[in-house]
Amino acid sequence: MNVAMGQKPFVAITYETTESNKTGSWRFLKPLYQDKQSPCSAGCPAGEDIGMIEMLARQGLFKEAWETILRENPLPGVCGRVCFHPCESVCNRKDFDSPIAVHALERFLADAAVGAALTTKWERLPQKNQRIAVIGAGPAGLSMAWFLSMLGYPCDIFEALPEAGGILRWGIPEYRLPLAVLQSEIARIEQLGVRMRTNNAVVSETFDELRRSYSAVFLGCGHAHGAPLGIAGETPESVKDGLDFLRRARQGERPLCDGFSVVIGGGNTAVDVARTITRFGGNAAILYRRRREDMPAFGDEIAMALEEGVELEELVAPSAIEYHNGRLRLLLRKMKIKGQDKDGRGRIVFDGKKTVKKVIDHVFAATGATAAEPWYSPPLAQRGVMGFSHCVLLLEAGGAPVIYGGDLTNEAKNVAQAIASGKQAAMVLDTYFERGIDEIKSRLEACVVGDGPALSMEAYLGGPRGGRSSHLVQYGEINTDYFQNETRVTQPRLAVEDRSCSFNEIELPITAESALREAGRCFNCGLCDECDNCYVFCPDAAVIRSGNMENRHINYDYCKGCGVCAVECPRYALIMGGEGL
Amino acid sequence: MKQVLEGNSAVAEAVRLARVQVISAYPITPQSHIVEVLSDYCASGKMDARYLRVESEHSCLAALVGAACGGVRTFTATSSAGLAYMHEMLHWTAGSRLPIVMAEVNRALGAPWNIWSDQTDSLSQRDTGWIQLYCEDGQEVFDTTLQAFRLAEWVNLPVMVVTEGFLISHTYEPVDIPEQEEVDRFLPPYNPAFKVDTKNPFTVNSIAPPSIYMEIRHDNAMAMDEVPERFDDVEKEFEVLFNRRYGAVEAINCDDAEIILVTSGTITSTARLLLEDLRDRGEKVGLLKMKMFRPFPVEQVCRALKSAMKVAVIDRNFSSGAGGIFLQEVRAALCNREDRPLVFGYIVGLGGRDVTKAVLEDIYKMTKNSDVPSDKSVWIGLREVKHAIGR
Repeated sequence: MNVAMGQKPFVAITYETTESNKTGSWRFLKPLYQDKQSPCSAGCPAGEDIGMIEMLARQGLFKEAWETILRENPLPGVCGRVCFHPCESVCNRKDFDSPIAVHALERFLADAAVGAALTTKWERLPQKNQRIAVIGAGPAGLSMAWFLSMLGYPCDIFEALPEAGGILRWGIPEYRLPLAVLQSEIARIEQLGVRMRTNNAVVSETFDELRRSYSAVFLGCGHAHGAPLGIAGETPESVKDGLDFLRRARQGERPLCDGFSVVIGGGNTAVDVARTITRFGGNAAILYRRRREDMPAFGDEIAMALEEGVELEELVAPSAIEYHNGRLRLLLRKMKIKGQDKDGRGRIVFDGKKTVKKVIDHVFAATGATAAEPWYSPPLAQRGVMGFSHCVLLLEAGGAPVIYGGDLTNEAKNVAQAIASGKQAAMVLDTYFERGIDEIKSRLEACVVGDGPALSMEAYLGGPRGGRSSHLVQYGEINTDYFQNETRVTQPRLAVEDRSCSFNEIELPITAESALREAGRCFNCGLCDECDNCYVFCPDAAVIRSGNMENRHINYDYCKGCGVCAVECPRYALIMGGEGL
Repeated sequence: MKQVLEGNSAVAEAVRLARVQVISAYPITPQSHIVEVLSDYCASGKMDARYLRVESEHSCLAALVGAACGGVRTFTATSSAGLAYMHEMLHWTAGSRLPIVMAEVNRALGAPWNIWSDQTDSLSQRDTGWIQLYCEDGQEVFDTTLQAFRLAEWVNLPVMVVTEGFLISHTYEPVDIPEQEEVDRFLPPYNPAFKVDTKNPFTVNSIAPPSIYMEIRHDNAMAMDEVPERFDDVEKEFEVLFNRRYGAVEAINCDDAEIILVTSGTITSTARLLLEDLRDRGEKVGLLKMKMFRPFPVEQVCRALKSAMKVAVIDRNFSSGAGGIFLQEVRAALCNREDRPLVFGYIVGLGGRDVTKAVLEDIYKMTKNSDVPSDKSVWIGLREVKHAIGR
């Protein structure tokens, strides 16, 4: 097989192929392409496929990225603005430089799709015979209708108020969520054939009627009523409902808030009420019984409120209210921190008998909310009631199944959880109708993203996402040699003088260039992005690529199992395992 | 045109004028200046060459083996630990018959750390199949580098051009740098003996079983045996164009010498001065400069030493348990000759210690005053030291 080269040097040269030497027989560990779960997706209540979304966005495939969001979340324009983005706080990139600005990218993709008037053709399952009634057009009901439509169920939404959106329409000010954004998302849901019946309040009689005429009823009525403070002298006139104030402001009214108002509470509603008051020309102070760092409201929103002139008083709790010379006198007890609560926040106790009196013009309560009607809430555990993480199914003789969702079933109450609730309820109902009650739990478990409880509709529908390993990628599993420190995109904002006198949206859009750059920072934890490191590094040319990701594979006839491919994979999309894999 | 150049720059200028196409190197003192200049040339376009950055000397030479199989002229430079790290690939290069040229700047090997001149690094690679040519000054370094490409490509063997850390590498001397056209007349474009071709693929260095390995090695050995003759041819061509010639060895006043000093590298320059002094005093002394070490020029060495009574081999290197390495080779060359001289061996200047004319004169006197040489090399100039260990 060796040929002497005449007068030339005698070198071992062969024209025979080396393919006869199947070095794969040397192998005792085996590389395997295996997409995994990213912490952001598992942290997202809606289970968005964030690593994939950013990968597509980085490649400039904005439409495909947007569609990837819509497969798990019908409200990207809303969530890109008002979601508390738990995805970012678990982003592996935080241990490297700073987390990906997932919310800014989500908003960019949603706005870009609306700006380009993108439409998308959904592969929907064949139409089912069961018609579903959805009560409440808040985020849970909208999500339920969207996913039910995908699964082939015709559905009608019944909404008491003149427009759909629920808390998104009536409880979040325009400067955080412009009306046009919400309307375009609702329009997209209606385009799937969902019938929106507004000004259509369901009372208990009509509810029974719906249970007879529909195959199932979803109740996602949310927390429409603010809870009272429960203090001496409190009347609906002396202590106004903060949520009601926001609702009236969004209906175009200019509710009374002249002079000096105090807002009791520490959540986003309290901050929004105070900021709305300043925009109407009033002065406002937020009174909170704990400290600023304990407030459930977004830190950024609190900071902006203070910039806009809102005052904040910590460690005060209202105890009584009375009229005083045509104004209001609020009696407050001072609080102090003593030890810790179970959740790690400082435990508050009365600071002796210390009190403080405030004479003001208006008091708004924003300390929590409840269902408008008691029967909106899910029944307690009993025969015929099945509880899930984000919904409750009631099966009883004499009526169609009722499924409860939204804030009234969710432990955490926010938009993303409401969307998760609608999605889970859609899956529960579909499995119930298609396969029977016994299959529900196992089917839900098969769609869990990472360690849950987020669920993936793509996985439920048998998409490729369902084939991923359940392993949640850790920071240490990323090969950070392939990444460089890069600054996280900063979302531009209206200047304080421009925003405090108007309801214009504060957060401004990022450019496509910034979006591409920000998406490029993403580790795409556990997802192959065809970077070809495995192909380049394989010393046996045993990585075979043939155009698309499904066809990328290892030629095990020659792979010696050296593991270089797995080590050099930046994203932990390759693993080494025993031969049994 | 004569320029005042650092020894390392003289190497770099030769590589530029040789129109090398692929350069790869990993930096190491005292070699780094060579490839720093070359990387500048590649970046600025002054050279039309690919400069490959690598993560180690092993990869460096492996990369050049690949490039040379592709039929291009290649160069690298290294020192000391870098050369040691190339060890496996040194064998591979010679076995593949690839005419890669390397500048090897002598530097002591650790431990302990030492960055100064010492030949043990290059001499400990004597069995790797590389031609080794030792140089004395900047001009010789320049000339030898050019000659190395011509020689390597003629016999299809790699060449190590050996210079010395700081004494040559960082020393500025006048060096005559010819014009490109003159160099082109001496060194034609590389015409490879074989060249991989993706259209007609073949495997280089596939497995060679016992039935053929020995023949391949023998072909290699025959090419090496041819080197002294081919080097002479190269030097003749070089001399016609540039009027300089060095020889595989240089014998000075050896014909009537009773005692001949054998040196290599920069120590030769010092010995030249001593030789003049001693001759002025009527001493019958000669000097043999060893330029070629591999292949070992047995014929030339024996011819130069045949009339001497005593030979003093001076080694700036050391093979533990066997003494100076040039000493071993000179003794081996002479052992079957009749009327062979007595061969004395001396170890000097390890790790860059200065070797002055006075040191060489001491060696001359010791040789003159001794009747029988020691079996082992004699260490010159050792200081009395107290060891710090155990304190």
